[in-house]
Amino acid sequence: MAQRSILARTIATPLILSALLLAVALAAWGLGSRPFNQTVIDLFLQVIFVVGLSIFVGNSGVISFGHIAFACLGGYVAAWTTIRPVMKAAAMPGLPDWLMGMEIPFWAAAIAGALWAALWAGLFGAILMRLSGIAASIATFAMLAMVNAIYSNWTSVTAATSSVVGIPIVRTIWPYLIAAVIAVFIAWAYAISRHGLALRAARDEPTAAAASGVNIPRARFIAFVLSGAVMGMGGTLYAHSIGLVTPDTFYLGLTFTTLSMLVVGGMGSLSGAVLGVLILSALIQALRWLEAGVQIGTSTFALPGGVQEIGLGVVMILILMFRPAGIMGNSELSLPRLRGGQKNPGRTGPND
Amino acid sequence: MKRLTAVLAASTALAAPALADDDRIVVGFATAESGFMQGYDKPAQDAAMIRIQEINEAGGLLGKQIEVVNADTKTDRAEGAKAGLSVIDAGADMVVVSCDYDFGAPAALAAESAGLVSFFLCAESIKAGIQGVGPNSFSASVLAAVQGATMAQWAYEKKGARSFYRLEDTWTEYNKGICDGFDWMMPKLAEATLVGEDSFLNEDASIAAQITRIKALPEEPDAIMLCTMMPGGVSAIKQLRAAGITSMILNGSGMDGSYWMSAVPDLSNFFVPVQGSVFGDDPNPDVNAFNVKYKEVTGTDPATQYTYPGYVMIDVWAKAVERAGTTEASAVVAELEKMVDEPTLFGPRTFTPELHHQNKARYLIVETTGGKPAVVDEWTISEPIPVADLMK
Repeated sequence: MAQRSILARTIATPLILSALLLAVALAAWGLGSRPFNQTVIDLFLQVIFVVGLSIFVGNSGVISFGHIAFACLGGYVAAWTTIRPVMKAAAMPGLPDWLMGMEIPFWAAAIAGALWAALWAGLFGAILMRLSGIAASIATFAMLAMVNAIYSNWTSVTAATSSVVGIPIVRTIWPYLIAAVIAVFIAWAYAISRHGLALRAARDEPTAAAASGVNIPRARFIAFVLSGAVMGMGGTLYAHSIGLVTPDTFYLGLTFTTLSMLVVGGMGSLSGAVLGVLILSALIQALRWLEAGVQIGTSTFALPGGVQEIGLGVVMILILMFRPAGIMGNSELSLPRLRGGQKNPGRTGPND
Repeated sequence: MKRLTAVLAASTALAAPALADDDRIVVGFATAESGFMQGYDKPAQDAAMIRIQEINEAGGLLGKQIEVVNADTKTDRAEGAKAGLSVIDAGADMVVVSCDYDFGAPAALAAESAGLVSFFLCAESIKAGIQGVGPNSFSASVLAAVQGATMAQWAYEKKGARSFYRLEDTWTEYNKGICDGFDWMMPKLAEATLVGEDSFLNEDASIAAQITRIKALPEEPDAIMLCTMMPGGVSAIKQLRAAGITSMILNGSGMDGSYWMSAVPDLSNFFVPVQGSVFGDDPNPDVNAFNVKYKEVTGTDPATQYTYPGYVMIDVWAKAVERAGTTEASAVVAELEKMVDEPTLFGPRTFTPELHHQNKARYLIVETTGGKPAVVDEWTISEPIPVADLMK
């Protein structure tokens, strides 16, 4: 059994993905266009969200409609901890004194956002992770609705539906790149850990996994808390990318964007999560440029407004028609090697 | 690695910084060209374009033609930030952002951090300006609170209304703003009494419970202050009238326009404050001339008064630029802040270092009788609403 350790066999995946993200960051940095820079920041945030989502959804096979709630929790941590105390007092007078006086840098807020989201993921997860299948999915959706309702109505602490402004805006690309790379490595490390392996076993063969001693609710719980933390970090950084938060930013729109990116990329694969974001974002961007009009020779060619949304839908349908398991299916990007057999087989394959 | 270096070299070569060209003045519109905000942004932007065209035809601003660059916010906050940065990169000297505070703020914040003047097309929250963006940000419209205060005082003084009922739709900040202005005005009206208050949500299909409570009053109130907006407002008005309540209904400007009135046939005793009349009967003939011009340019009449702030915005900004002799933000802001009752086509405008918004304004009162809206009066509240009261 001269097999190399799982670490050595799989480390190529996060490295390749990080290199891809770095390439995008360098392109944005090199181009020096502010709107493109902001687009790339957005892309990194989406990578964080989709990778965060995939830690749970990809490994457990349970579709979660509720993860954006953790981004919401994280987003408001940015509002609570980084806005100048004077402005905070006007917008959110109900905050406790110790929080009111707090003014920490954005990276510390991102850590706090991750911890706060993880705490709530733990509380919700303790109950929800006992459910399976569609019941679990709907329960996560209920959690999203609950968090949204609380944040939309607790006027003194979240300013209800009003925008909370004054969050310091971070427009350099590097913190977002670092966070996205951290998310990728967390997802990878979890997937190759014994907990990740146990959860995937439970996903593919719940009865056999349980019979082999896998505590399924516990395995799901760990993934749920970890993915909640990543989403929380993403939410905090999202707030810093535009400088304000409202509860409806973190609701159905973002939930379905991130889920569809994950599904198109390939639910069972970390590479799929990252590539789903990269491919769909590139497509959205290209269609927007076409909508705005491109100069070809002397004439300007422009698509009618709204084509971007339609085109995106059509492309997603096509991808799923020809690759129902998403672009990557269950396989990961890795370095080519002479002897095959390293790639994960399809979803039904038990030797994952 | 070699390839990486090559990519880097190539991309750095492309990165020519967008320098502001001194020969031109650029107004950047980071507004919604798609999504639901387009319905608010487009008319105001068309009006702004009319004013820009007028200025250009008259020789331009500081001897230069005003150019326009656009970026679509897609009625999305994250896209709004990008749209703001796009027009700034395209050399904008002033950034125009979406009508609504929530949707316009990301672009306005981008302009603020680039040291540029930004204008909300028609936002009516106090946050659209210094309080929610920064010292270079303005709104071209009038605070929602002024609308509530105007209606209360006008109904009291001119219509002899004494008993008021307050019915608030808690859906948006705008609605709350109208009722806040009403609340501020009420104690100043010596004989006015508030006989009851209630709330509902814009999406509520039925307000039967609220109507029952109004009907249970010993006598019908003289006036109902209805703080609501489209689309739920129409249903609320229809239900009030269907229940046989004939009190005056006072509203904010959000219920202006006649496009929805077929839903409530023969509506009467219904009042809205407007900055200018879209019905062709404005006391100022220049407003009616503007309406004709607007129709020539866009093919339709203005649907509501929210068309007008776009025109006012370019008007006051261009005046400030002319007086400052530059488009440089601090000089323009200083000139704008010197404006006290600056005449515009749609009433006087005042900006101060504390407030880049109108806390007092002349409003025309439009009364709808038998389903036909017409201007019946005009009113300016007796004193401006203090900033401290607006921040509550």
